[in-house]
Amino acid sequence: MLSKPMLNHAMRIGILAMVACLSSAGSLLAKDDDDDDRQQEQERPPQVLKQGFESTDQILSDIERAERGPKYSAWLVESSRFLNVPHRAFQPDVGDPAFVDLPVNIGIIKAPNGDITLYDSGWKQLAYIFDWNTSCCWYGVRDQMKAIGLDPDRVVRIIIGHGHWDHSGQLSEFPNAVLYVQKEELKQIDFFLDYPVRFNAGHIRAVNTIDPLTGSQVGPPQQACARSPVCGYPPQTVQEILGKVLAGKAKIVDGRHEVAPGMIIHPAFRGHTYGSQLLQVNTARGQLVFGSDTYSSWTGIRDWFVANIQQTDTIQQFLAYEKCYVLTSKQNSFNNCVSAHEPTSYTAAYPITSNWWNIPGGNCSRAAELTLANGERTHVPASPDRTPPASCHSVVPPHAIHP
Amino acid sequence: MTAPWNRLLRPKPLILGAVLASLACLVALALNREAGIGSSPTTAQRTAEPRRPALTAAEEQYIRELGPIHGDVERSTMRMSLGQIFYRTQDLSRAELGTRVKEALASYQAAETRLHALEPPTSLRSEHLEYLSAVRLFKESAAEVLKMFTDGRDDHMLVAYPKSQEGSNKIREVGGKFWPHEFPPH
Repeated sequence: MLSKPMLNHAMRIGILAMVACLSSAGSLLAKDDDDDDRQQEQERPPQVLKQGFESTDQILSDIERAERGPKYSAWLVESSRFLNVPHRAFQPDVGDPAFVDLPVNIGIIKAPNGDITLYDSGWKQLAYIFDWNTSCCWYGVRDQMKAIGLDPDRVVRIIIGHGHWDHSGQLSEFPNAVLYVQKEELKQIDFFLDYPVRFNAGHIRAVNTIDPLTGSQVGPPQQACARSPVCGYPPQTVQEILGKVLAGKAKIVDGRHEVAPGMIIHPAFRGHTYGSQLLQVNTARGQLVFGSDTYSSWTGIRDWFVANIQQTDTIQQFLAYEKCYVLTSKQNSFNNCVSAHEPTSYTAAYPITSNWWNIPGGNCSRAAELTLANGERTHVPASPDRTPPASCHSVVPPHAIHP
Repeated sequence: MTAPWNRLLRPKPLILGAVLASLACLVALALNREAGIGSSPTTAQRTAEPRRPALTAAEEQYIRELGPIHGDVERSTMRMSLGQIFYRTQDLSRAELGTRVKEALASYQAAETRLHALEPPTSLRSEHLEYLSAVRLFKESAAEVLKMFTDGRDDHMLVAYPKSQEGSNKIREVGGKFWPHEFPPH
């Protein structure tokens, strides 16, 4: 028989244990594998950061976890389009056709309560479009949303797949939205800004520095991003991230993170950049996985080809593909992997984007309805404009500096 | 009965027929292309097709001389921005942030001096002034952030931010014109 004080103590311990158990079940934190870290340490592939690693068991359990959340509606809009990119520069293993047009896709995810999450935020560097003269169809994402019947003021968060300029622009257009970015993404920019030349006798340099060996400038105009381990982050883009941080509207994530019920961030470090991240979303057509440039090419995921190699470890890109296969294993498989630059976007060849239309007044940019949650009406017009790209005439928007 | 067919098999009608068939084929191909029936994705047309005019020797020299200054300004701005981010996330100490901001301020001051030493051609005068105004904004922004190390108030970063943001927008626009390949498709 237990005495009364002992029973009291036992009850208190039990209540504490229950609270701890419930609170840990409610959040999925980056370092939630701390308990079995020693075991994970042995199982992780070499050169993989702890917070960047997820086991297949964890990913499988994330399917069940997300399924307990609400179902979301989702669309893609095309922020702009790179024209006539040499195909092998994009996908070294694929050269047919020789040149391709690459859309820059933004994911729009709507919760049943009307809150909207953006996955990536497109670009805003208009001089680039005008002066390099190889892009078309830019249109501001707020206006795109309005044109397809979505309220940009309901955007509560922006999750950037990585921090490159063409995926993290327009952050300041959504002052109330909370930005989600991986700490590793920011750390690597900082490190490579002052790449320690002692590592390699100076042959690899930070962009826009002078090569002490040759006296020539690394970076433009001679070499663009060549010989630079980090490129693609203009001060303007980093400034916008700073703006979010200073305004208290940023969550610097360190690995796995449950954003909301039914919406989970998965790290894909070096799947494209050092701190790339995927977004799993629970929908009526199963788990969607948005991949930004880690999933640059959907056919690359389908056929197991690498794409858009930047600060990419090709093994990590394949492991990120594998995450999509696992997360979508119950329904639709790789058809639910959502790509940022898939050349066949907005055609039947990329099935999830086949329900597409030209955004009204959207400068030839396109939208696609991916899936609808219960109660969400379709946003595809009754008579959608599906004028093919070759017949659509885009214009250059006004910008500050003209040639 | 066979006379009309014999006439058609003569060389002239045959050539005319072949020419007409070729023309019809070309029209069909053009219509097919316009309708976008082809299997591979096609290219959007841009109504305005601006081509950057060839640079004069003086313009090329100015842009070449501005390049290293631009590199220093960009990296200083990035280091200062990231420094503030890491300070807010408690990954960088106050002293380390102070060092970064002081270095950035010195870099902007040096950039301003170097810019004054440049002689832009008349055609690039407005871009030169735009760049100079951007550097001044960065300088003012850094000076504002530095105040937090004297009065202890971190909200100087908030006051400083719009200036550095405007400066970043300006150098991105000028950079897009002078170094269009600086940030290729990613």
